[in-house]
Amino acid sequence: MTHVPTSHIRNFSIIAHIDHGKSTLADRLLQATGTVEQRKMKEQFLDSMDLERERGITIKLQAARMNYTAKDGQEYVLNLIDTPGHVDFSYEVSRSLIACEGALLVVDASQGVEAQTLANVYLALESDLEIIPVLNKIDLPGAEPERVLEEVEEVVGLDCSGAIMASAKQGIGIDEILESIVHLVPPPSDTVDKPLRALIFDSYYDPYRGVIIYFRVMDGTVKQGDRIHLMASGKQYDIDELGVLSPTQIPVEDLHAGEVGYISAAIKAVADARVGDTITLASEPAAEPLPGYAEAKSMVFCGLFPIDSDQYEDLREALERLRLNDAALAYEPETSSAMGFGFRCGFLGLLHMEIVQERLEREYNLDLITTAPSVVYRVTTIKGEVLEIENPSHLPPPQAREKIEEPYIHLEVITPEEYVGTLMDLCQTRRGEFKNMRYFTSKRTTLIYEVPLAEIVTDFFDQLKSRSRGYASMEYHVIGYRTNHLVRLDVMVNGDLVDSLAMIVHRDKAYGVGRSLVEKLKELIPRHQFKIPIQAAIGSKVIASEHIPALRKDVLAKCYGGDISRKKKLLQKQAKGKKRMKSIGTVDVPQEAFMAVLRIDNN
Amino acid sequence: MRQRRIKTVQSQPQEPAIASPISSAYLHIPFCRRRCFYCDFPIAVVGERRDRTPSQSIPPYLAALTQEIEITAARSTPQPLATVFFGGGTPSLLTPEQLDQLLTALDHAFGLAVGVEIAMEIDPGTFTFGQLHGYRSAGVNRFSLGVQAFQDELLQTCGRSHSVAEIYDAVAMIRRAQIDNFSLDLISGLPHQTREQWQDSLEAAIAIAPAHLSCYDLVLEPVTPFGKRYSPGETPLPDDDLTADLYRIAQAHLTAAGYDHYEISNYARPGFACRHNRTYWENRPYYALGMGAASYTDGIRFSRPRTRQAYYDWLAAGATIPDEPETDCDRLLETLMLGLRLREGVRCDRFTPSEQAQIRTTLAPYAAQGWVTLGDDAIALTDPDGFLFSNTILASLFAQFDPDSAHR
Repeated sequence: MTHVPTSHIRNFSIIAHIDHGKSTLADRLLQATGTVEQRKMKEQFLDSMDLERERGITIKLQAARMNYTAKDGQEYVLNLIDTPGHVDFSYEVSRSLIACEGALLVVDASQGVEAQTLANVYLALESDLEIIPVLNKIDLPGAEPERVLEEVEEVVGLDCSGAIMASAKQGIGIDEILESIVHLVPPPSDTVDKPLRALIFDSYYDPYRGVIIYFRVMDGTVKQGDRIHLMASGKQYDIDELGVLSPTQIPVEDLHAGEVGYISAAIKAVADARVGDTITLASEPAAEPLPGYAEAKSMVFCGLFPIDSDQYEDLREALERLRLNDAALAYEPETSSAMGFGFRCGFLGLLHMEIVQERLEREYNLDLITTAPSVVYRVTTIKGEVLEIENPSHLPPPQAREKIEEPYIHLEVITPEEYVGTLMDLCQTRRGEFKNMRYFTSKRTTLIYEVPLAEIVTDFFDQLKSRSRGYASMEYHVIGYRTNHLVRLDVMVNGDLVDSLAMIVHRDKAYGVGRSLVEKLKELIPRHQFKIPIQAAIGSKVIASEHIPALRKDVLAKCYGGDISRKKKLLQKQAKGKKRMKSIGTVDVPQEAFMAVLRIDNN
Repeated sequence: MRQRRIKTVQSQPQEPAIASPISSAYLHIPFCRRRCFYCDFPIAVVGERRDRTPSQSIPPYLAALTQEIEITAARSTPQPLATVFFGGGTPSLLTPEQLDQLLTALDHAFGLAVGVEIAMEIDPGTFTFGQLHGYRSAGVNRFSLGVQAFQDELLQTCGRSHSVAEIYDAVAMIRRAQIDNFSLDLISGLPHQTREQWQDSLEAAIAIAPAHLSCYDLVLEPVTPFGKRYSPGETPLPDDDLTADLYRIAQAHLTAAGYDHYEISNYARPGFACRHNRTYWENRPYYALGMGAASYTDGIRFSRPRTRQAYYDWLAAGATIPDEPETDCDRLLETLMLGLRLREGVRCDRFTPSEQAQIRTTLAPYAAQGWVTLGDDAIALTDPDGFLFSNTILASLFAQFDPDSAHR
């Protein structure tokens, strides 16, 4: 790798809504610049996690360095810094945007701007990025480039006269995009002479080499073998390997202000090299870290319990291993009278929670019971103490409480006009306070609400999607705490209090939620050989009750002329189902029951 | 015809078992006048044919079946058959000559042992006295009559092609033919069925005094009209409480009438248990021939194609049985799943000491509940409580042993 002058470096990212074609475009850029040879190209090169490929979303960031000879005959280095495409990771998004000078705003020419895109564009604008609008999928029959351009101009307030018409799939507009990056995105400022400051925009744990840091040099120079100092974590390491991502790792001797690369330095956990931290030299430290570093703050919590209590240690190990690679994952041991030993885990948001659960089950072969997600409540006791309660069963009794506050979010929903009514109704039933409504272009509307976070962490997103037939999108950020009249709803199964089913609800909704919950549990808990009462209670007052009648028989009588395969399959299924259940006293409760609250008719 | 068979038997005296001698054969006769609403068996509908004209589609099938008999015998070491079962479909849609030809083919291919049990299913309204006599002459010595219910409205609900009057006609013919070893099939848990109707059916059956009775609890199969129309336990189907009672009522009535509840769904007078079906329950090997038939030979379970054309194609391609033997674990679970259908249960010597220990540990809570008896020689379910919860008990054994239902 030859040294490139700062003036010939372009750092950019791609902002796009899920499915609007970001990954395909990134693939095309890699191909067009010869960074990845045709034969090594696999679909969506940058999405390297299985989960990402399956869901078509980007969870972990990636980066790629491309060499491009522009039409002016000059050789440029283009660094693509990928961003994760989900609201849970907006901090990570903001850090990778800060590492860039420009961004491609990719919008599907038939869909238009979505809430997530908008949020990221604002983040990019705040970081003074040059934004190049790209309309993708213009080859599709449903493409309406004029309407969508108008929308981008109106909603984002962006000049779209230079917007590029593209189809990543067909390879249309790729050269134009590359040229625009060279000509429109400003080069990084040349601050090679300053003390080293490099921004970590991603890091991941490699079992053989320890943590690999992805960073952008903001000032100064970093060299192979340097001893580095991480300004937020306070740790120091010797660089084992320094390199660039092309997109595979290629070692280099040094990297200068404006360049993007990776460091391997025998770092044990990503928590020691968090996104947003500043790398400087131990020998010649910078005076100030780069601005904007923030600790990960868990927003959503749930209990994770092994179905088989023998798996507790396995679960602990799995969480430790995941945490090596996921600084935002928080966990601490939790003991539940109903579920035994497990962990209370904190996540950035719902997707993050889902990803962690899925990885635990898939990659670590654990059978888990997950309790319904909850948020952090702030309780002021009559003694004036302020407690943060992330587990509903830990809520102090009513007589010991002065007040309960709950987190609120600013919610922005973008939807086609025809779904405004049903979505407003959804927000209303979720205790949302209407703030604003903006129409833009023809037919699309933004709704702005302030809603308790607890109402969003259940099935809100699913509801939003199903009510709008998948057309609405949403974005939120936390705006603070508000006092509300909240109560704890307890659930008793067969007379046993099931602490992991306890939930905190608004008093006005408690009765309805309690009723729906016991009905749902009645559906989900299989019949046993005895009658099982199910009750919902506030304090000692039962507000709803149902019972599951006793099972009278469980037999499949017919023998199919010697064909035993079906009977066997049925028993295997039944056996498997049994293994997925947790014993609460003498009652076997299936995993879904602990998520029942997500499935009750909340509307 | 009988003479011929005795001769054959004499030429092939019964001999001690080699590795696993196969002495049972199931033959599937798929033809039915119409499909009953609860049935998802592999069958071929031939229409009502009240004039009893034979269906032209039967001879080609019998030719194929005969071919499979020959192929099967040619690649095994044939042992005389001790049990033969013609199941369906409606085997009584065959003429006695057709049935005789099949038996002749079996006789040539395998031989028939002394005292062979030759059983066939017959349906009311599908045979004449002449036919019955002919089947008997051909060697059939056990008949199973598909009665299902003694109420015309229930028979109609099920889509059966016969009436209650035809049941009694059939029984009269069986009596006239002096057939003692016959069985009646009944189904409990039918749509709209009441406790009283079930009791009446049991009384009617007891009055006929068959040697054997099968009482099946209706199973809703998804692809059937019943499966599409009804959900288990919901009206018009009786709820679980009622069907559990129907099971107990049958058990009480029939045992009081002198029948032995020797298997989860079967009752017999002493000495009249179905020997062929015992082969299944004891998890011993058996041939199965014909479309959709499931065999268990050389440790391999195999189900033949379920439609005629696919079956013919499979035969033409060499009637290959994939060489996928069962695992020890499969065998263990099947021995339990099948053996625990019998009131005598499973003999402990069929398991290794460590398997036996695991089984005992898994079943101990059920023994404490009175659903299982853990004897020194045999493990068995109790009647009726253990039988009624047999799936629960078996599922716990599957959870204990089966790698497919385990979490790793």
